[in-house]
Amino acid sequence: MKHATITEATFISDASSRSTTKPRGRPIHRMLASFSAAYFVGALVTDLVYWQMPDVMWERFSIWLIVAGLLVSGLTVIAYVIDLASGRQIDRPAWPRVVGYAVAVVLSLFNAFVHSRDGYTAVVPTGLTLSVLVVAVLIVTAGIGSALSNRHRVGG
Amino acid sequence: MQALKKLKSAKLTRRLAVLSVAAASLALAGCDDNGGDPRTQIGANPELPKLQQYLMPPIRIAKAVGWGKDETPTVPQGLQVHALATGFVHPRSLYVLPNGDVLVVESNGPKAPIYRPKDIITGWVQWFAGAKAKDENRITLLRDTNGDGVPELRTVFLDHLSSPFGVAVVGHDLYVANTDAIVRYPYEDGQTSITAPGTKLTDLPGGPIDHHWTKTLLASPDGSKLYVGVGSNSNIGENGIGAEYERAAIWEVDRATGAHRIYASGVRNPTGLQWEPETGKLWAIANERDEIGPDLVPDYLTSVRDGGFYGWPYSYYGQHLDPRIVPQRPDLVASAIAPDYALSSHVAPLGLAMYTGTALPANYRGGAFVGEHGSWDRTPLNGYKVVFVPFSGGKPSGPAQDVVTGFLDANNHARGRPVGLAVDRAGALLIADDVGNTVWRVSSAPSSASPRPAT
Repeated sequence: MKHATITEATFISDASSRSTTKPRGRPIHRMLASFSAAYFVGALVTDLVYWQMPDVMWERFSIWLIVAGLLVSGLTVIAYVIDLASGRQIDRPAWPRVVGYAVAVVLSLFNAFVHSRDGYTAVVPTGLTLSVLVVAVLIVTAGIGSALSNRHRVGG
Repeated sequence: MQALKKLKSAKLTRRLAVLSVAAASLALAGCDDNGGDPRTQIGANPELPKLQQYLMPPIRIAKAVGWGKDETPTVPQGLQVHALATGFVHPRSLYVLPNGDVLVVESNGPKAPIYRPKDIITGWVQWFAGAKAKDENRITLLRDTNGDGVPELRTVFLDHLSSPFGVAVVGHDLYVANTDAIVRYPYEDGQTSITAPGTKLTDLPGGPIDHHWTKTLLASPDGSKLYVGVGSNSNIGENGIGAEYERAAIWEVDRATGAHRIYASGVRNPTGLQWEPETGKLWAIANERDEIGPDLVPDYLTSVRDGGFYGWPYSYYGQHLDPRIVPQRPDLVASAIAPDYALSSHVAPLGLAMYTGTALPANYRGGAFVGEHGSWDRTPLNGYKVVFVPFSGGKPSGPAQDVVTGFLDANNHARGRPVGLAVDRAGALLIADDVGNTVWRVSSAPSSASPRPAT
């Protein structure tokens, strides 16, 4: 009970601090990055299903999800460059996120090639491993990112 | 605090950089391996290297450029080659009617559906290689009454077909194997065009995927059965095993009822069905699987046993398992027959003619001509020629010899690509060339004191 209250309080304080420090709202590249991350997570889910039940339908879902994720990553990069070029204030601790995200995208690019193989080895074991790695990198990145930004906020 | 943070992130970045470099070099490592000497993969016991899997499977296509004026393929001494006729639209197979008329099947595959992003790339590759020609889907008749190799008559024999490939005549019935059905037409000797509607004998596995669309047709000597080569619906089962129902097989169709049974299975893409003249056995050529290396899996020429299983998709050359198929079928693999004669990897044999004539020089009497369409996923290129496999006692008896070459120019661009073969009434070898859009005729050079040098 107590725990829930604390979470809520943190959430509120986070939201209010955001509304004061970023009057123009969330930068669009952040939103796009979340979309692509969701695609990569989706690909992991369909990979896991294929691993358990090798029906080609799941492999096809995976490759389209990965490619969609990569296309959105491309848009993310464009939006990020525009944000940088327009001199928009970008959080200093954002850059570990940039590196983490870039690693996830590069791994996903390899994953797209692996998933374009024919048959079972398009997924098991290499494709599935890469999908796990991508999601792991994304989670770690998100963790580091939020930890750093919280510390930054508290310290700054 | 700030400094520590920076140090930590720098470390992380370095580690990540090392990781991505390692990953990138892994990718590149897969790119630069060339195929070995194809001669080690010709005959009964081909060398089979270790299987490889790729991040980016090698693609090496010969750009289609066509034949220049007066350019022809090259033949060895004792033979001559000239164009029987030109100006076709993607001629794929040939059939010689009982009266000597030559049928040229101008055909192309149905539009492939896009199931994966890869299918889009494949479409571009095929366009580049000249395989995306307009599909006329018709059969043209050539008549050369005096046998001089220059047809006096050229007519549209049958039109508005559905990706036709095989043709067979039994008595007054002419059968066309479209990609989705065998259709029977009434035929009288000497007829130059058919306008009568056809009657469907049986459906064949067609769309919507129809990966290997060519359906080869051969009538049994007594005319009671038709044998049909039905290719697989995928490279290696990537469209699901359900899409392979009654595919990768040679069908035996009863001519009277249209009922069929699977005569042999596990042959990835069987074409060029022929009767071996000495033993009367059925022989076929087959295109084997891709994407596991430049020297895997060798395409082959083989006798076809009734009820035989030849491995696809579970294994190749007997019991060599393919890891891309799960679940495996050990019961089938245990019975898998290794084919008789390897033609080397990725040559893409699509035409077979058992030579029984006497018009060609003595060294070509008794054996099989094989039209090798040529590789698209191997460096250096392989195939792009017509070879001769000598037979004795009803079996291949020596290495394949190059007979018709020169389909590639000095820059490795494709002037043409040989597909279907046939032997005409005068005993000359006919070759359909679906990139050069020509039918070539190979005959004995005039036996004068100085034989015409190969051009």
